[in-house]
Amino acid sequence: MLKSKTFMKKTRSGGVMKIVREHYLRDDIWCGSEICTECKQESPVLQRDPSIESNLCSYPHYVIPDTNVVLHQIDVLEDPVIRNVIILQTVLQEVRHRSAPVYKRLKDIIHEQEKHFYTFTNEHHRETFIEREPGESANDRNDRAIRVAAKWYGQHLEKAESEADALKVVLLTNDLGNKQKAEESSLLVYRCEEYIKSLIGNPELVDRLALSNDDKHDITSSKVLFPEHLPLSRIQAGIKSGTFLQGTFRASRDNYLEATVFVQGEGEDSTEVLIQGLQNLNRAVYQDVVAVQLYPRNQWLAPSSVMLQDEGAAKDDNEEDKEEEDEEKSVTEAARKPTGKVVGIIKRNWRPFCGMLNLSQIKESTRHLFTPADRRIPRIRIETRQAATLAGQRIMVAIDGWPKHSRYPNGHFVRSLGNAGDKETEQMVLLLEHDVPHQAFSQAVLSSLPKMPWAITPEDMVRREDLRHLSVCSVDPPGCTDIDDALHCRELDNGNVEVGVHIADVSHFIRPCNAMDKEAANRGTTVYLCGKRIDMVPELLSSNLCSLRSNVERLAFSCIWEMNHKAEIIKTRALTLSSLEVRFHIDSETHDPIDLQTKELMETNSMVEEFMLLANISVAQKIYDEFPDCAMLRKHPAPPPSNYDILLKAAKSKDVEIHTDSAKALADSLDMARVDGFPYFNTLLRILATRCMMQAVYFCSGMDTDFHHYGLASAIYTHFTSPIRRYADIIVHRLLAVAIEADSTYPDLMDKQKQSALSTNLNYRHKMSQYAQRASVAFHTQLFFKSRGILNEEGFVLFVRKNAIIVLIPKFGLEGTVFFDAKHKATPKLVFDEEGPTLKVEQHTFHIFDMVKVTISLDASNIQHQKIRMSLIEPVISGVSVPAPVVEPQAKKPKLDR
Amino acid sequence: MATVQVSEAEKVYILHGIRDDLRVDGRGCEDYRHMEIETDVVSNTDGSAKVTLGHTAVLVGIKADIGKPRPGVPNEGYLEFFVDCSANATPEFEGRGGEELGTELSNTLYKVFNNKHSVDLKSLCISAGEHCWVLYVDVLLLQCDGNLYDAISVAIKAALFNTKIPKVHISADEEGGKEIELSDDPYDCMRLDVENVPCIVTLCKVGHRHVVDVTLQEKACSVASLIISVTHTGTVTCTRKVGGGSLDPESIFEMTEAGKRVGKALHAPLMKLLQQEESLGKTRQKVGFLG
Repeated sequence: MLKSKTFMKKTRSGGVMKIVREHYLRDDIWCGSEICTECKQESPVLQRDPSIESNLCSYPHYVIPDTNVVLHQIDVLEDPVIRNVIILQTVLQEVRHRSAPVYKRLKDIIHEQEKHFYTFTNEHHRETFIEREPGESANDRNDRAIRVAAKWYGQHLEKAESEADALKVVLLTNDLGNKQKAEESSLLVYRCEEYIKSLIGNPELVDRLALSNDDKHDITSSKVLFPEHLPLSRIQAGIKSGTFLQGTFRASRDNYLEATVFVQGEGEDSTEVLIQGLQNLNRAVYQDVVAVQLYPRNQWLAPSSVMLQDEGAAKDDNEEDKEEEDEEKSVTEAARKPTGKVVGIIKRNWRPFCGMLNLSQIKESTRHLFTPADRRIPRIRIETRQAATLAGQRIMVAIDGWPKHSRYPNGHFVRSLGNAGDKETEQMVLLLEHDVPHQAFSQAVLSSLPKMPWAITPEDMVRREDLRHLSVCSVDPPGCTDIDDALHCRELDNGNVEVGVHIADVSHFIRPCNAMDKEAANRGTTVYLCGKRIDMVPELLSSNLCSLRSNVERLAFSCIWEMNHKAEIIKTRALTLSSLEVRFHIDSETHDPIDLQTKELMETNSMVEEFMLLANISVAQKIYDEFPDCAMLRKHPAPPPSNYDILLKAAKSKDVEIHTDSAKALADSLDMARVDGFPYFNTLLRILATRCMMQAVYFCSGMDTDFHHYGLASAIYTHFTSPIRRYADIIVHRLLAVAIEADSTYPDLMDKQKQSALSTNLNYRHKMSQYAQRASVAFHTQLFFKSRGILNEEGFVLFVRKNAIIVLIPKFGLEGTVFFDAKHKATPKLVFDEEGPTLKVEQHTFHIFDMVKVTISLDASNIQHQKIRMSLIEPVISGVSVPAPVVEPQAKKPKLDR
Repeated sequence: MATVQVSEAEKVYILHGIRDDLRVDGRGCEDYRHMEIETDVVSNTDGSAKVTLGHTAVLVGIKADIGKPRPGVPNEGYLEFFVDCSANATPEFEGRGGEELGTELSNTLYKVFNNKHSVDLKSLCISAGEHCWVLYVDVLLLQCDGNLYDAISVAIKAALFNTKIPKVHISADEEGGKEIELSDDPYDCMRLDVENVPCIVTLCKVGHRHVVDVTLQEKACSVASLIISVTHTGTVTCTRKVGGGSLDPESIFEMTEAGKRVGKALHAPLMKLLQQEESLGKTRQKVGFLG
């Protein structure tokens, strides 16, 4: 049967188009139930005996949720208890239209066989399709379609089974109007909360319920705390006319009353709008896309430099910290920044957040505040009955909404990650908070792997050169399983030397656009945490087939040069920078760190590095020559001169001159920078120089003109040498393979828009993986100090701040802050001189590079944000420094401890 | 124009018949052939109608689009006509054969319909001087068996009656920028007032008398015809003489009077029919092109 769907659409040019789509109705759409004898279905999804016990429905039943239930209660639907659910096509389409993430999750549930979720294509079913009626809104029509389908199911199942305990269908909706209409047509209908609460034996499911609108009222006072958000239509009109600006909301990490909104302007110019005060922040959450209105220039403020943490307990909703809001009014004109207020939210970017529960003071209370691990996220009010169990655990919570009369957003419990402080739990938190995809590889990905046992086939040999007669070696730390580079060198008859760099040929195994390729592109990079590696490609490839291990035959991409004995390749000097890398000695049984040392660089490492750089540069040039529009390259922009200020000042204080005109000048002057009797000075200076640098990024050559790699002093650069752990290298391999006609191309590879989008993702993943890595090191450092107790160490002042000095302990590569204004103590007299920069504490003046002695301990007072605490021992300043605590000698045989 | 060859004897037979008010197919001089009307036949237009008159068949589709009002009349919308003489109708239209006829027909249609007395052009205005609805009237000749003008005019009137223009409203922001917003309810439409839309009556001079709704054979016997557009009150809005021969003032007067009479009688049943069809709504069994 044929129906047509008609709707009007406005075209871009302002015209109006009538669109007519043909819509076919069928009578071969089956109900999907095991009990049905009428439908000719092959493998019914819905079970004969849907065993779910409920107080409300004592009979076996299937559940049909409406769109809003799916959108808001997806966390509940994901629970393994909820099974045998019918998802109507109407619902699926609406969900897809309204929220892509929820749609993805819903699809995942449907695909999971254990869940017995069935999609019923009611819109194409002859008996359940309905047409929109005059005067009916699109929503009402969909609600009616859901009711019609539910009704049909009820009758259909009744027909199928004549027995007394026939299956029924239960419609879940939170819409009162819809519920009433459903009741009128004698459907079984419940509100979602009602139904979930009635389930026997699953009390924790109730915690996962998102709060619906009418629930919110009784949680908070009716006092309106925030201005109303403007409707989207007014926001759009305002943005068009320029009264509002659209930007990404970035909450400050240090001050919960301050945020900036990053407004992307035309081309390069983008502005940051400062937002201060709860009212002006107006319920925006980190990463939301918001509309802001600028204040007139005379009301502009300067960002405050104080650290403020929201310490408010659950009850003090109404008492505002007044003194915090109106501090520092006397700011200099120059420091003022564009200031504004949030008038509306364009797009929420809420995700489930990791954090911990702050138990309510009232013992029986089920409402608690949740403190996210990320300080930029406000606390979230949740309702739970298992507070006692959840206390001390890391949990995940999703925000449901932020009504204008509530101090905090409302949310619901999603899942528990485990006890805080456990290594497993903390690692999970780390991965989640840095958005690192860490799930096991899906079946689809694994099915793209080559079949084992794998061997090189004659076809593989046709296009390849056989280098098996050469001795190829790799230089890697012991225990390394993903070896992606190897070298060889041999003398040629003409007296020259041939040097080859061999890189694992990962692109041979990962074919474009298959599931594994997509997964790898999304992951972007392998993430190395302390004691754990999250692979970009399945282990079979990363540690076996692509790993250039000894005495096995492997496919490789090789780069071979011929050079004379003096290795006279024009050498551009790369900038040697420094940052300390830490290595833990891990106890093999408990996996707790027992010692900590900075990584030493061997001569061989730098030789390998040199050749890898050479390979990368050669490849970059080759692919750029071949594909000037779509080569994936890596650039490192030169830092703006102002970045060097701190470095120059620091060097000057020791009468050393640093030139920052070019990377080469900087490298040379860093080499020259030595101070007698201060051997560590050079390293410190290099650490400072590193901090001045910009982030290197991947980009598509067709989208940019500046290719320069500042740090390596190379005109062109790319990543070619680690395809096992970086996706960019795989793309480069493919480009190179096409260039030397060893492989065929595919459309996405030549599409510069797609390449550009890919590089954005790779840059993001790369940055996140570095943050995760750092956080992992920090966590292990804490574990180490937890086991070692208090230590006294020598260190150097790295930075001087207004109220603190930052000290580097070379022995551990550890950086820590010594605060001079502790909360509970009287603040000593502090004089900060920006020119030095120096900080005068009482009588003593601190300069950069001063040697100090500190005591290091673990501050576990805030279990969520444990940190290393440093206190000054030397120089002795009365009232500031602490006496050196007695360090217990470490037990000689650690095994006796256990 | 499609023509047929008629022998001398046939001609005499037709002429004599008409003289006695009896035509070859049994009609009187002022009788129409059997007429069928169906509206809403093309779903992707805003209004459409199909009319068959004897073996003549025409299809009219109307598309409404937003355009700019003509400078002289800033508060009125307008109509555009295009007549497609497809080779389906008659092999003579093949290639560019139908072009001349198409232009002639559409020129006449402009004269008859595109004025504020026929169609309420003011109701097509969205915002004066800036936006108005433009109705694109596309006429497709499916089969030619004489009397195209009358069939087309009836089809246009029916299609205009059927036209549903989506409702829009102008939202203005503080800066005076205007934005057209479309109602998201497909049933929320504006209808046109077609009361004053005229119908064309073509009178053909055959011998000493004149007839309406000529067949191709009768046409071959005539030298000239007069096109008259008549409203439901009997007001003549336009007359035009077509054909090679000449008409004396007396017969022009007579023909006009006859045209008024016939035209006035045509409107009432037409409107009744259209309203009847409309009232059936979705329950109406559509005939379409295959029925």
